[in-house]
Amino acid sequence: MAGASWVDFVAQGVFHTLVASLVVEALVRLWRVRAPDQRIALRLLALGYPLLVLPAYVFGLPWREGEAFRDAALLAGRRWEEIQVLGVGLFEVFVATFGALGIGLLLMDLVPLVLGRRGGPPRPAPPTSAEGLALVGLVAEVAAAMRRPPPPLVFLEDGPPVLFCAGVRRPSLVASRATLRLLDPAEIRAALAHELGHLERRDPAASWALMAGRIAMAFNPAFQVMARAVARDAEWRADERAAAVLGDRLALASSLLKLYRATEGSPPARGRRNLPFAGALAEPLARARSLDIETRCRRLVEPAAEQLPFGALRVALVAASLSGLLFFVV
Amino acid sequence: MRAEGARPVGKATEEVLRSVLTLLLVLGGTAGLLAALDSAPGCIQGVPRGVRRVKSIEEAERRLRGRLALPAYFPDTLRWPPSAIRVAQDASPAVALAFEGRAGGVEVWLAQTMAGDGPIPPSLLPEATVLGKGTVTVGGEEGTLSRIVGEDGTIWHEIAWRQFGRRLALRGKGPLDQLVRMARSAHREGA
Repeated sequence: MAGASWVDFVAQGVFHTLVASLVVEALVRLWRVRAPDQRIALRLLALGYPLLVLPAYVFGLPWREGEAFRDAALLAGRRWEEIQVLGVGLFEVFVATFGALGIGLLLMDLVPLVLGRRGGPPRPAPPTSAEGLALVGLVAEVAAAMRRPPPPLVFLEDGPPVLFCAGVRRPSLVASRATLRLLDPAEIRAALAHELGHLERRDPAASWALMAGRIAMAFNPAFQVMARAVARDAEWRADERAAAVLGDRLALASSLLKLYRATEGSPPARGRRNLPFAGALAEPLARARSLDIETRCRRLVEPAAEQLPFGALRVALVAASLSGLLFFVV
Repeated sequence: MRAEGARPVGKATEEVLRSVLTLLLVLGGTAGLLAALDSAPGCIQGVPRGVRRVKSIEEAERRLRGRLALPAYFPDTLRWPPSAIRVAQDASPAVALAFEGRAGGVEVWLAQTMAGDGPIPPSLLPEATVLGKGTVTVGGEEGTLSRIVGEDGTIWHEIAWRQFGRRLALRGKGPLDQLVRMARSAHREGA
């Protein structure tokens, strides 16, 4: 363990995620992986390395941190320590730069999320107005089409157009009167199916777990970027699920565009948002959000994404290959 | 019927092969990139392949599993500790220490193998051209005194001898009597 310290583990966490992310992203493009489920599975591999595999290597195989292994390693980050810039080794410069970048990327999403929650959650009052009751009927109709029980609905009588799902233990749908007035019935059904698609996959809980992982890996910029990519894939997966259930891809694209235009430039809606990435992209990443919306709409105009054959085998093969490769990165 | 049925199987096999080949290419490219990143610091510093820079004499001794022979006489025109320590851990383990002068710049190199009759790996020391050779007695044995032109184009002297069951070489561009005195004062703890 000579010379191994927390800086080495941080550096390995960053390098492992970076290498795993580069490999996964290259394969996603070269294999032309379009099905969001398969993209998520591959990208989760990159996120799993610093959280699961590296600790197993560090604590299970401590001899890996020794000098003899470092000499034989494919990449020993400490070797960059020999090159000094203003008296500081490049290894330390890399670690500090990556750490600052990772924290910056996390804060870009975390700060708007925390600020957006300051007003507290919306009061879970059931709808009483005629419009609200009509929406309850629509939710039941779409839920039946998806063969799942309808979630509780929180109807906001005033405020901007919003439609999102919230809650980890007791998930619910939050919608406002303005949304009903903005969208036509086909668009509302499509948007509801999208949100129910999130609830079906327990995305609110998953996105909080992902945010917890991001906080734990605050110093790791590759982790932050990959977590965002997974969140985008989760949106795409909910889009595909809604389109498959209702068979109307254009209505979903239209609802996305209308909701985006109606909320562009306005502050995030007050209340609990259990899909932090969707809310987080609203303010500091307005351009990225508009690109996301554009990409999602383009995908909805195209036919549904097809699954690649041998999906599970591919993921297993990539996982095994990365484990072998990253074993020699210290 | 058989030919039509065989087509999808052939397509699936082709798809699997293409995917595996792509994976191998990506992994190979990544491994190459990592190896390049690993060797880049050595290339930037001009350290040859198979040679590692270490931070201290203690680290060099730990890696080579033996104590180094060092001069007991160390002129005050040189700086301690060594400014660079290069270790070769291949078939014939050896080490080279570079000592800077007070005004800066390396003025003395001390290289030694750790055991056996093998030569000091040439990659440990800067390249030099020998102008002439003579003899000198060090440690009770006859050694070689060479006059060489160093990489910087100046004249250096190099004393090469055997002591403590190893080969040693001391190269310097200062006064020759000082270099000989340093060589004759070489000692090794535990020897």
